[in-house]
Amino acid sequence: MNRTKQHLIFAAIACALASARLGNSRLYAADSARQIIDEAQNRATSKSERYEGLLETIGEGGERAEKRWSFERLGSHGQSKVVIAFKAPAEVKGVALLIVNHPDRASDQWMWTPNIERDRRIAMQDRSTRFFGTDFSFEDLEERDVDQFDYELLGEQKIENALCWKIQSVPKQAKSSQYTKSIVYVRKDNYAFARIESFVKDLAVRRLNYSSITNIQGIWTAKSLSMTDVRRGSLTRLTLEKVEYNVPLSEDRFTVQSLRDR
Amino acid sequence: MILLRLISWPYFRKHLLRTALTTAGIVIGVALFVAVRVANNSVVSGFSGTVDRIAGKTELQITAGETGFGEEILEQVQAASSVRVAVPVIEAVVDSNIKGQGSVLVMGIDMTGDRSLRDYDLEDSKDDVIDDPLIFLAQADSLIVSKEFADRNHIAVGTRLPLGTAEGTKTFKVRGIVKTSGLASAFGGNIAIMDIYAAQKMFGRGRTFDRIDLARKPGVAIADCEKQLGALLGPGFHVQAPSSRGGQFETMIASYSLMVSLSSAFALFIGMFIIYNSFSTAVAQRRSEIGILRALGATRGQIRALFLGESAVIGVIGSIIGLVLGLLIARAIAASIGALIADVYGVAQQAYELATSPSILALSLVVGIATSVAAALIPASSAADVDPVRAIQKGSYQLLSAGEHRLRVGLACVLCLISAACLTLSTSRSVFYAGYLSLVLAALLVVPLLCVALARALRPLLRRILAVEGTLAADSLIRAPRRTSATVAALMLSLALVVAFAGMAQASYSSIVDWMNVSLNSDLFVLPSQNLVTQTTRFPVAMAQELAAVNGVDRIQMVRSGRITFKDTPVMLVALELASIQQTVDLRPISGSKEEMYRKSIAGEGLLVSDNLAELHRLKLGDIVDLDAPYGQVHLPIVGVVVDQSDQQGTIIVDRSVFIRYWHDDAVNIFRLYLKPDAVHADVRQRIFDRFEGKRRVFVLTNRELKQYILKIADRWFGLVYLQIAVAVLVAILGIFNALTVSITDRRRELGVLRAVGGLHSQIRGTIWLEALSVAAIGLVVGGVLGAANLYYVLEIVRRDISGLRLDYHFPISTMAALVPIILATAFLAALWPAEATVRGSLVEALEYE
Repeated sequence: MNRTKQHLIFAAIACALASARLGNSRLYAADSARQIIDEAQNRATSKSERYEGLLETIGEGGERAEKRWSFERLGSHGQSKVVIAFKAPAEVKGVALLIVNHPDRASDQWMWTPNIERDRRIAMQDRSTRFFGTDFSFEDLEERDVDQFDYELLGEQKIENALCWKIQSVPKQAKSSQYTKSIVYVRKDNYAFARIESFVKDLAVRRLNYSSITNIQGIWTAKSLSMTDVRRGSLTRLTLEKVEYNVPLSEDRFTVQSLRDR
Repeated sequence: MILLRLISWPYFRKHLLRTALTTAGIVIGVALFVAVRVANNSVVSGFSGTVDRIAGKTELQITAGETGFGEEILEQVQAASSVRVAVPVIEAVVDSNIKGQGSVLVMGIDMTGDRSLRDYDLEDSKDDVIDDPLIFLAQADSLIVSKEFADRNHIAVGTRLPLGTAEGTKTFKVRGIVKTSGLASAFGGNIAIMDIYAAQKMFGRGRTFDRIDLARKPGVAIADCEKQLGALLGPGFHVQAPSSRGGQFETMIASYSLMVSLSSAFALFIGMFIIYNSFSTAVAQRRSEIGILRALGATRGQIRALFLGESAVIGVIGSIIGLVLGLLIARAIAASIGALIADVYGVAQQAYELATSPSILALSLVVGIATSVAAALIPASSAADVDPVRAIQKGSYQLLSAGEHRLRVGLACVLCLISAACLTLSTSRSVFYAGYLSLVLAALLVVPLLCVALARALRPLLRRILAVEGTLAADSLIRAPRRTSATVAALMLSLALVVAFAGMAQASYSSIVDWMNVSLNSDLFVLPSQNLVTQTTRFPVAMAQELAAVNGVDRIQMVRSGRITFKDTPVMLVALELASIQQTVDLRPISGSKEEMYRKSIAGEGLLVSDNLAELHRLKLGDIVDLDAPYGQVHLPIVGVVVDQSDQQGTIIVDRSVFIRYWHDDAVNIFRLYLKPDAVHADVRQRIFDRFEGKRRVFVLTNRELKQYILKIADRWFGLVYLQIAVAVLVAILGIFNALTVSITDRRRELGVLRAVGGLHSQIRGTIWLEALSVAAIGLVVGGVLGAANLYYVLEIVRRDISGLRLDYHFPISTMAALVPIILATAFLAALWPAEATVRGSLVEALEYE
């Protein structure tokens, strides 16, 4: 074999190896994105959670409204039960919501209204509906199941001086969602979520910022969440207070009947 | 056209008054035809419009009659694979408590899902319907109103609005205003929206919904979705497009619509006789003119066309005027129909705009012109047959020849026989109506003969009243039966109609009173609303105990009622505590044993049907009745047929236990209270008010008040009948005036001669007055006789085709007695002007009149 032919063969092998590595790096990137999300979820997992919340809505005209609620969760991602009980203002005091999350389908939700002494099932056929006047939709309040999305690592970006992985999350075919895709920013230092931007086609419609991230019982927790409705120009801010994890909560507290006693 | 211009126009111009009276006959007929049709269509289209606007993007609706169904059905529907979104709805019509605003349609909806089906276009264009949906849901007094309603009543967000609810008048807070489009424009803009669960509480609905509105998943055909839901829910539920409800509303008010149509047709029929009368007289008067035309070469066809052309012109003018007049009065009639439908059927629906489709207007014009031309056919043919020679012989035409006399009698006898045969030998509807028509034709044929005979019979009486004048008047009638008979025929038909409707009304009242005296015999009635038939609010069953505890109350009976569909017809289902009814009401079945009827129905082994339901659907004792209920199918035999006037389409009565078993609904529409012997009604009523004050809205009626209320509804129902009676009398008056005017003109020379030979003015007047009174008297007699027969037929039509009710035959003597002075007085008044014109007219002209 002459020298030129040898060089050509080596070049061909080198190209093949380079291509394989590139392909693997895409696979590696997807694997990395999924792994990052998995890790973020694992680090935030707890058997239960409880906090006092202050919900502020700021309308496009600057008008403000505040509500206070208590939040309790039992169970971990995808199979948890949540009770939100409103404490203020007076018009909504005593109203309570029970949300039962499922890994494979939309959550079941019930609401107790003391003024008419009725519980009702909330028929969530339109999960894009805003959650009682806030900028969160009902879908936004559901827990995300990592298996229902495809992930791709897009790179890195700083969010509020914290370097974050920038991951694209696209709902799989089987998952019904109002969003075409989401861009999730996960902090590299502690795997806490920093931001989630939600898109309909290529238009950003909602932006959820996590801030005041504090280590509470080993879990990095955002004590302030701000959801902006990009189209409306309105903002909803949720401030968490008295956050506790792994508190002993009875299953009995997460039934429709128990909503009456909140 | 030339003949119209040269011959007809001068004649009409010379007899302007008569022409106007002739035209008035068509004007009245067309006006009534247009008014009732437009009004009826407006109410029906108003209902359909409300349904459509409220429906929004709803593709199918699930209902189970007026009774509603349990909440659990919603989850079943939402879980169906073909359903994209399904939302529950409650509708209630309440008093707005705002002067001049009437009722408000309150829609109870689930705001979390309803926006997929209905557009809520907010007043200030925000995406949200209201500022704070959580507060809206959390507070039961939250309300959204339409912009139109808000603007009319100076309402803004934050305004407090009182509305009548099951718990009394409650003040609601307006938390949102929707723009007037689509949903918000339904019910004339008088629409309010509240949370459905709050609405359940406010209107005493327990845990039921009125209906479910839904949209199917993309790619699923509506028929498939309908089929799937039908199979899922069973036969007790109706899955239908929103537009079908408009059709159901029409079916429900079908008997009323039929009466309305018959009334308008009668008005035209009578108007036709005015035309016939006028043209017959015109032909008689213009015989010389016609003879000359024929002698100059005019063909029979041209003569016929001339008179038909005249009638067509009158028809066009009369129809146009009638159309305009009809539209003007349609709105008032529509308001009356809307109120009637609310009272009788419990459906509050107004006509917010007149439904004047081009087809109705065009039809009215065509009908008016066609009626006019049809009325002139016989006179036109008669004119065409005028012999030019005989035309010059004055007066001879007015007489009836012996041959014609025999022909008329013969034909009339044949027609009477046919009528009798149709009545007795067949039950077919078309044969029945053929027999009816035959009788009317027979009567019309013999009218001239009767005029002569009755005039002869009246002659001695007239002579006794005023010797000379009476004789002249009688002789005028005897000599000119053709002139007289047209007027008498119109009068006869009008009075026959009046007698029939009055007899029907009296029979109906009598029947209603008899039923009320038997079935509605409790001392007090406790209702949730002022309207007896409305289903907007109901009482909870627990209220029975509270009522029983009121001092003076001896016994309570619970009544639950609502319309369901039976053989594609909405009928009333009434659930009673039959064991208690047996002890308090002497309800005797028309067929079947009373003891057996109660035993089986109390045990839930049978049901009762009303006599009219049995008649309309050909049901009898022992027949099995299948009723589709939300929780099963009722499959029970008829164990009793009873007289019941609850609904025109018929009533089915079951024991309350059966209703609860199959409808899962223990609410109450009415409590019937029997008081202790020593209890004072007014005191007990006040105690009831006191007990429920601030807690619940109650209306307490005494037995007398309830009966008066029901009779008031009957009055409204027959309001249209009375309108028809008024029209018939008016038409009769026109006919008399017209005939007298013609008679005076015809006898101008004769009366001129009388004056010339020394007749006093008072004698001239006297003869004309007596002639008018005689025409009226003859009309009353023949009208009364035909009316007696007509009443029979009308009662049969009611039984066969309208409501199935068997009404007793009672000739309306009081009505007839009231009509006698009215018609006689009218005839006298109609004769005043012609008499004055005669005595004050130029004697020379009268003698020269040719």
